[in-house]
Order: sequence, then C-alpha cells, then structure tokens
Amino acid sequence: MATFITRRYSRQGLWSLFLVCAFPVHFWTLILVFRDISWLTERTNAWDAIGVASYGMIFAFAESVVIFLVLALLGFLTPKQWEYNRRIAFLGLLILITSGWGMIGQLLFLWNVFLPAQAIQFLRSSSHPLRIIYTVCLIVVTPTVLLPVYAFIRSNRAVMFMQNLMERLALLTTFYLFFDLLGLIVVIIRNIG
Amino acid sequence: MNNRFSRRDFLKLAGLLPASLLAPRLSRMLDAPALAQEKPKNVLVLVFDAFSAYDISLYGYARQTTPNIDRLAKQAVVYHNHFAAGNFTTPGTASLLTGVLPWTHRALNLNGRIADPYVTKSMFSAFKDYYRIAYSHNGFANTFLKQFHNDLDELIPRESLYLESYDSLISTLFKNDDDIASVSWVRSMKVNEEGSAYSLFLSHLYESLQERKIESLKPLFPRGLPTTGLVNPYLLETAIDALGGRLSEIPQPFAGYFHFMPPHHPYRTSREFFNVFKRDGFKPVEKPVDVLADKISKEQPRRRTEYDEFILYCDREFGRLYNYLESSGLLENTWVVLTSDHGEMFERGISGHGSKVLYQPVVRIPLMILEPGRQVRADVHEYTSAVDVLPTLTHLAGQRTPGWTEGVVLPPYAATTPNRNVYVVQAIDNAQYASLTQASTVLVKEDYKLHYYFGYPETTEGELVKLFDIKSDPEELMDLYPSKKGVASELLNELKDKLAEVNKPYL
Repeated sequence: MATFITRRYSRQGLWSLFLVCAFPVHFWTLILVFRDISWLTERTNAWDAIGVASYGMIFAFAESVVIFLVLALLGFLTPKQWEYNRRIAFLGLLILITSGWGMIGQLLFLWNVFLPAQAIQFLRSSSHPLRIIYTVCLIVVTPTVLLPVYAFIRSNRAVMFMQNLMERLALLTTFYLFFDLLGLIVVIIRNIG
Repeated sequence: MNNRFSRRDFLKLAGLLPASLLAPRLSRMLDAPALAQEKPKNVLVLVFDAFSAYDISLYGYARQTTPNIDRLAKQAVVYHNHFAAGNFTTPGTASLLTGVLPWTHRALNLNGRIADPYVTKSMFSAFKDYYRIAYSHNGFANTFLKQFHNDLDELIPRESLYLESYDSLISTLFKNDDDIASVSWVRSMKVNEEGSAYSLFLSHLYESLQERKIESLKPLFPRGLPTTGLVNPYLLETAIDALGGRLSEIPQPFAGYFHFMPPHHPYRTSREFFNVFKRDGFKPVEKPVDVLADKISKEQPRRRTEYDEFILYCDREFGRLYNYLESSGLLENTWVVLTSDHGEMFERGISGHGSKVLYQPVVRIPLMILEPGRQVRADVHEYTSAVDVLPTLTHLAGQRTPGWTEGVVLPPYAATTPNRNVYVVQAIDNAQYASLTQASTVLVKEDYKLHYYFGYPETTEGELVKLFDIKSDPEELMDLYPSKKGVASELLNELKDKLAEVNKPYL
C-alpha cells in the first residue's frame, strides 16, 4: 500500500495537498463565522458564540480531510509520468477552481444577485428551462477549468506559478489550523463541563 | 361483647353526619395532608411549545382548531386567563418548572440557564418520592432538564425521539453541549434561507443524503417534515407513542414533564390538515403596526393559517394520548396538565414570539387540568400565571407546597381566590446577572393589563407604557394610558417598585 501511494506522492507533497484543500474550506467558514458572530453573541452569549465558531472550525477540519482524501484518490488518474510536484500543483489548481465556484454560488445568494427579469421571462417561456440553465452553466464553467488545465499542461511557468501560490497559501493555512486547535480545546472544555 | 347498636349510639353518630358530608369539601380546601392519605396519584405535565390560547377554539377562536381538546375539556378544569411568564421558551419553561418568575430564576437569554440556587428547586425536587421522568423536543427546555438531572430518575434523550437522521449523530457525539454543537452543525451543513452554509462542499452532499433518508415520509407532510428549528426532523406521533408506552412501564406514582415542539415554527402539519383553513373566509381583527415591530411581516395571514393547521395536528395527537391514558387505566389516577411555555402572534407587524412585545396572543396560553374522576367542566376566569402550576400540582398531590415558589394554588383547589399581581417578563438582551435595564414587562391586576417597556432605543425617552382593560377589550385595541393616567401611574409605580426589589441584588 505504502509503495502504491509513494509511486504517486511524496510525504511533503501530500501535506501540501492537504493544506491547499484546507485553505478554501477554512477561509469560507471563517468569513461566515465572523459574519454570524455578533448575531450569535446578541442572541446567546460570547461563550456560546465562541462555541459555535469552534465547532465550525472542527467541522471545517473534518471537511478538509474528506476533500483531501477524495482529491488524493483523484490524483491516481493523472498521468504516471508526471513528477510529484506537478501532480500536487494540478490537484491544488482543481480544488481552488472548484472552491471558487462554490463560493461564487453562495455569494450570489448572499448579495441577492439574481437573473435579470428578461432572462427569467425567457426561461419561463421555454419548454426546457432546466436544460437551458445547465447548458449555460456548463458554457461558463468549462472554460474556467479547461483553460488553466491546458495552460498547466503546456507551460512550466504555470506549474511554477501554482507551486509558488501553494507555498504561500500553506503558510496561511497553518495559521487556520492553529484556529482549529483552539477550536478543539474550546469544544473539549465545553463537553467536559 | 354486645355488638348491638343502642339508640344513644345512633344519635351520636347521626350528629356526625353533617360533618361527614362536608368532609370531602373541607379536605379538598385544606387538603394537602388529607389528600396525602389517599394513594398518591400521578402527575403528568404536557407542554405544547408556542401554543397560543388566542388560536384555540376552546377559548373562542373562530377557527375550529382543537376539536379533541374541546371535547376532553368537558371533564376538566379550564383556565381562561392563564399567562406565560415570558414570551419565548427559556423564561417561560423555567418559570413553569421552578414556580418563580424570570427575574428570579434568571433564565432570561436565549438558551439561558437557571441560576444555581434554583437548580435544586424545581418540579422534580418537589416530587421527591415520585418516579420523575422528563422529555423535551426543544433544546432550550432540554438545557433545564439537564440542569435538573440530580432530581430526575429518567431524562429521555432528546434525540431518541427524532427521526433517524445524521443530525442526531452530533447530539450523540457532543452530549454535554448538544445545543451549541447542533447550532454550529446547522450553520455548517444546512444551506440557510440566505443560500449560504459554512461548508462549501459537504453541505450539498449532506442535503441530498438527508433528503433520501426521509423520502418515504415526505408525502405525509406536504410542507416538509416538522423539525426543531432547521434540524432534527421528528414526528409528534413517535413522541406520543413513546410517552404512552413508557408511562405504562415506569413505577407509580410518577411525575412526568413532556415538552413537545409543535405547534412551534416551522408550521408543518400533516397531510390530513394541509390547507383545511385555506380560503375559509377567516378575517383576523386588524391591528396597527407596533412601534417595536422589528420588520414588517407581510405574510401574516398565510403564516397564521399554517400555524392553525399545525394546531390541528397537535390536537389530534393530544386526543390520541388521552385515549391511550384512558384505555390503559392511567387516567383514573393521574392529574394531567395541558399547557404551554408561551404563545405565538401574527399581528401588529410581528410574527412568531420572542420579540419585544407582550400582547395577549404571545403571553396568554392554555391551561387545562384533567382531574381523575371529574365528570363536569369547570371554568376559571381569574388571572393565573405559569408560576402557579407547580404549587397547584404539589397541593393536588398532597405534597408540601414548596416555600420558594412565587405562585399560588389555583382555584378551584385553593380555599380562597388568589388576589395578587400577575407578571410577565422578557429581557432577552439583558445580562443574566445584572439589574434589568432593557426589558418588556407586564402587570395584570384586576382587569387591567399594564405594558411597560424600557431600555429600547425605538421608544421615546427610553420607555413605553400602555394600559388595556383586557376584559372589555381582549384584543388590546384601545390604549387607556392617556385617558386613565391615575390607574396607569398606580400600576406603573407598583411595577417599578417590584422591579426595584428584584434588581436590588444586582445593583
């Protein structure tokens, strides 16, 4: 098993991949936690609000682990001849693009951005509104995935750029993991009491 | 030994006849020790959360929302002017359980806790020799039940009566902190009304898995399955069946407290009652938007209709429980109390409960006592309070009335009619152990109801006073404060004196 894994990944590479998976998940959780914290404090108290944030960080950590495992498995589908770092950078790129779309999807609701009235009217009048919506989404999303992937395969500069970005994000994510640790301590205290 | 009865003996005994006729009445009036001679009866308190007397047909509501309760009330004592101690679960339930007002037990804030001195002063500590059993769907009420664990023989785990779902995993995993863990879980995994969730990816996966799990029940609940907040789907049927089953197994006498979530929001009735009140021509009394309304809710008629249809679901299940108690013989030796922790309102631009206002729909709640052997309905119109329930129950059970309660034994069981003030307190944003500086309070005396709100920026000069005659104006449409200044200032002074008294320890 160990050999099977080490054929595709180095230990350092897996750690970097975990950090890049944890980054968007924690980033988004923290943004929403900070958005909620005053609301929570008003309705409960500071300790309970910290509790909600702490559990949120623990759940974010668990989600990061799940995503990391899925992505690491996905990495076995990449070409064998790719070197470790290129594979990690590629998987990192995929997770960042997917997270970006995940955030945009939620932000559109949070900012009350909806389709213009004419577009809704058009969809209403069509016989297959869902098919149209999915096709439009595919048209918008596909280039945002394919173009970076193409650049990544063709250009070493893109790989270098991604590796640099991951290094920087790794530092930030380590900081987030420190929050996870604090969250874990809070959760333990709350459950002992 | 001559066993024959002499004329003299007969006359002696005949002299006791009037006394023997009076004895049952006297013993009921004086009664704790006398009742205690009988085999102790069980006590069962059933709370339906956010159940407003305003929307109950038993109390005169135009929609027929409670056919079963109406029917069963024919053998009960029905209280028509019963007040919750607060306008949301925390203060309301804490007062019901401890028999003291929110400014005393200090469970003022959302999910607040009862102050330490009252943790050992509850309904459960008052029934020491009974088998004490409790359950709550509602997490806030469950917080108190956990606080009382030393005085409970059995606390049925909250999640055990939810439908099997992944949410219950969190309650199980974080047993000692399940409320806050659940709140965070909801915010992480459930895409809320704004379209966001802490979790970027798993929230979508979770939703689809969860949907699959309850797929088969969905057709039975066209508005979705009832849930506690946004999580924990449950069926009231499950809880009623479990309660009925458990009560026949446990030792007697028992003192049970069961707190059911319906008709609390979300109002998701079963298919049987879905849309039964839709377009029925019902027109609620129009009332002006209140100065303390947070945001104007435009959907009040629809919400009210859904709420009323959800009440029908509660009523059906209460009827089923009654039938169960009757067929199992438990009803013959059990005092059953039906009540609520607070009401619900759909008027003046405010929907739900827990807002700053204390109008009748949100504070006037049902109280009905089903007395073993009673065949005739008794109606009590005196103003009564949730804090009266505990002393009344101990009195009925022949227990010593706890010295700490601020309530009184209710008529018709009390020797005299209570003549005292009824208070309602809401101080959700006030610090727990500080004097009340931002609160909504009500004083009910004779037929007057004085509202006194203070510390809110929306009010001029930081306070707002209203006075209503709730006998002649039960809808609270005519504010008498400008025209009856004398009465208002007398009541206000009394209320302020009371506030000064309860604030004293925190100054």
